[in-house]
Amino acid sequence: MMLPFFEWMGGLRLSAFFLESVWPTPIVQNIHLIAVAVFAGSVLLVDLRMLGRGLTKTPLADLARTVEPWLIGSFAVLVLSGIPQMTSTALKQYYSPFFWWKMQAVLIGVILTVTVRRRIAMRPEAELGPVLPKVVAVVSIALWTSVTIGARLIGLMG
Amino acid sequence: MLRSLFEWVDVMPMSIAWRESLNGYPLLLTAHVVSMGLVAGIIIFWDMRLAGMALKGVSVAKIQATMFPWMNLGLAINVITGLAMVFSQPMRYYPNFYFWIKFIFMVLAAVNALYFNLTINRTVEKWEHNPIMPFAARMAGYASLALWSGIIVTGRMIAYSGLVPAWWIALELG
Repeated sequence: MMLPFFEWMGGLRLSAFFLESVWPTPIVQNIHLIAVAVFAGSVLLVDLRMLGRGLTKTPLADLARTVEPWLIGSFAVLVLSGIPQMTSTALKQYYSPFFWWKMQAVLIGVILTVTVRRRIAMRPEAELGPVLPKVVAVVSIALWTSVTIGARLIGLMG
Repeated sequence: MLRSLFEWVDVMPMSIAWRESLNGYPLLLTAHVVSMGLVAGIIIFWDMRLAGMALKGVSVAKIQATMFPWMNLGLAINVITGLAMVFSQPMRYYPNFYFWIKFIFMVLAAVNALYFNLTINRTVEKWEHNPIMPFAARMAGYASLALWSGIIVTGRMIAYSGLVPAWWIALELG
């Protein structure tokens, strides 16, 4: 069902540009990887805090709010730098089980982050109880870790 | 001398066994990238706090005390998986331009961190809550941001062993 869409992406002029030139691909890969680091930091600061570790002296809502621009900004960079990498190798991605693993985890991760996780982080901590934030934090870390693993394995295992 | 060290490792039975293992390299590299997220994610926010770009309301000393153990856990995994990759393919890394530049960046990042700890960080109690850090701390933050970006980029570029200056290729190390 998705195959025509991936064939269309592979045929884009953008894809041809990346395949026919030398530096653009490593440049966007490096931008992507630096954005991974910023995104990982933004996620971890809040997830560790929800686990009762890390910056416990800072109120959870304050920490989540101050980190949010970096979380959203780095995610935007990840998407933008990911697009040419996906379109220029569209059929490889389509046939890679790890690509679908990664994208499903991204989708679930984004939904979790903008709904439950965000609501929990912004509420007064006294109302939260000890269990829920920890569960959400563990799920969040697990999802984004599996995104990273899936992403790396697209390149290594096809 | 350096070359003979790499060549000596290259013929070690354990190096050969790891090199020929089907899943060894993918496992190591994947663990290296995941732990990079832990290390670089924390270091970047630490550096941005020093540089005045993020976490302005958070105490610098608190970040050191509560986040550095996590960073060090990631660093330990990074060092182990990184050494294991070099150990298993020494003659792939020895002639690689970006491998050595990454090594230089890592040494400079360590020197920067050490210098920070021995100088301005000794008086951290006086300025840990300031939104704007002392000049020396800001400079250490900027330097670390640049060096760690360099470490990430050169690490990724190891895969592009041909995209290097012509003079490096002329050395014919490979």
